[in-house]
Amino acid sequence: MKEMQKFGYPIFFAVMAALPHLLDSRWQAVAITFLIFAVVALSQDIILGKCGMFNMGQALFFGMGAYTTAILNNEFGWSIIATIPLAILIPAIFGALLAGPIVHLRGDYLLVVTIGFNIVFVQVLQNNLGGVTGGPNGIFGLDSLSFLGFNLTSQVAVYYFAFIVLLLTLWLMRNLAGSKAGRAMHYVREDQLAAESIGINPRIYKIFAFSIGAGIAGLAGTVFATQYSAVSPEAFEFIQSVLFFSIVLVGGSSVPGVLLGVFVMFVLPEIFREFATWRYFVFGFAMIAAMILRPRGIVPATFGKIPKFLIKGGSHVE
Amino acid sequence: MDIFLQQLANGLTIGSMFALVALGYTMVYGVMRLINFAHGDMVAASAFVGLTIYTEVLGQAVSLGAVIVIFLLSAMVMAGVGLVLERLAYRPLREAPRLSAVVSALGASLVIQNGIMLIWGPRMRIFPELVPQVYWDFGGVVISLIQVLILAISLVLMVGLYLFVEKTRIGAAIRASSIDQDAARLMGINVNSIIALIFIIGSSLGAVGGLFIGLYYRGITFNMGWQYGLYAFIAAILGGIGNIPGAMLGGMLLGLFKAFIEGYVSSTWADAFTFILLILILIVRPTGILGERVAEKV
Repeated sequence: MKEMQKFGYPIFFAVMAALPHLLDSRWQAVAITFLIFAVVALSQDIILGKCGMFNMGQALFFGMGAYTTAILNNEFGWSIIATIPLAILIPAIFGALLAGPIVHLRGDYLLVVTIGFNIVFVQVLQNNLGGVTGGPNGIFGLDSLSFLGFNLTSQVAVYYFAFIVLLLTLWLMRNLAGSKAGRAMHYVREDQLAAESIGINPRIYKIFAFSIGAGIAGLAGTVFATQYSAVSPEAFEFIQSVLFFSIVLVGGSSVPGVLLGVFVMFVLPEIFREFATWRYFVFGFAMIAAMILRPRGIVPATFGKIPKFLIKGGSHVE
Repeated sequence: MDIFLQQLANGLTIGSMFALVALGYTMVYGVMRLINFAHGDMVAASAFVGLTIYTEVLGQAVSLGAVIVIFLLSAMVMAGVGLVLERLAYRPLREAPRLSAVVSALGASLVIQNGIMLIWGPRMRIFPELVPQVYWDFGGVVISLIQVLILAISLVLMVGLYLFVEKTRIGAAIRASSIDQDAARLMGINVNSIIALIFIIGSSLGAVGGLFIGLYYRGITFNMGWQYGLYAFIAAILGGIGNIPGAMLGGMLLGLFKAFIEGYVSSTWADAFTFILLILILIVRPTGILGERVAEKV
């Protein structure tokens, strides 16, 4: 694991930085999709993997960020970059508001409520509430990226935008893991009662985790809206949330595991296009097999510097 | 008043379908503490199995006997699928972290849903007209023979299940297993057989529900399972998850709620209202109407 961190990440970053110059435009688009969904999956990991809350509505926050960018750009003429603060803030505030009344619920109930949030959200978009969401067709014809007066119309620019967002997310998650809040979230996940008894307020940290995860997903939404220069409700259906939920758990809630999960779920189907209709059928079997063979995920997360031999089963969950 | 009575009849019809499907969720959850996400897709699969039995086995003959054969055969096929599902996807994960079983259930759901798509195609299929189109008009309120049959058969099945669970020794074993599996095992109950039995009962009731959906709505699609599954699961929570009479009550109430929202407010907002109801109930009374307080295991 240590060697992995020492050499794996620099190699990964170098390859990702050079990637758009090695690919044609179709594969650049696939690579951008990978980056965007990787960020959403990592944001889901903060809520589900790091804080242990069964959230199955992450597509809501992703969509909320995308729609914030689209509406501000389309209705009010803001440039894409200028929408970023609100595209992070609005989902983050909603994350806290929605999480507030529900974080005390038992795991399965939380899961169903977050599914409910996601479905209500999509229905609100489809019914064009307030007349700004564009109904079932969504909003299209967004501006391309522009920064300090430069028009960055090429796909490579979008790629680097997405790449920077991924780097920021990874940096934030690394810092979070070592911070007071990150440790508190870890203890809340491992054993809420014990965490409370050492003075951690689980409610605060659970809402915090929801809010951070929602904000990051919102930022990914901005990149998504930029890449397709359009948003529509079906991109944020709750089946997407199911995919993010599964990616985090099958991956094992670690960065390499989650990235691997995103790769398998969103990039492999592009490589094997002739099997497109078999995609979910095969994934379903893969999910069952992965859980039976490795119940804690393909690459289980580790926490802190606890030696491996002290941890039953290689990781310390439940 | 006409709208009220009409939606009452419609609500009871869809409510009994929700209730039948909800029983499968609630029984599995009661014993295994697992949301069987694949259950909704099994319900959808049952409608397609019924369709194939009608066209391939019965040669499109419509008679009372044919209807009975379709129901019995579909229920048996789905009971078999349920057994296989439990054996392959859930039993190996009984001691694993709970989230692993949830992911396995989601995987099973994808397999069944896309299995239907690969076998029967992605387009909507039309379910055969097995029940004659008979309507009674009570001064503006129209009730069809199908609605009466659905309500009557569902009630018979639910009363039967209730008596089975409450009055027989096997029923007592089911209840014991759902209170405490380990204690039940120590009392000599074979919990593995009980779980298998629960999957047989739940899947067959779900199969009947799926055929009702086909008979009532006629159009069946491979991905309709999620929708009915979610509604049925909400019904199970509404009544108190793990509680068998609760699932029946919850199903009926949810059916009525949905019908009245569609009748009085708007059908495009029905899903949103249903989920808002669910969220409010979970905030106010997370154990549901008939549920007892269940402490989170610490």
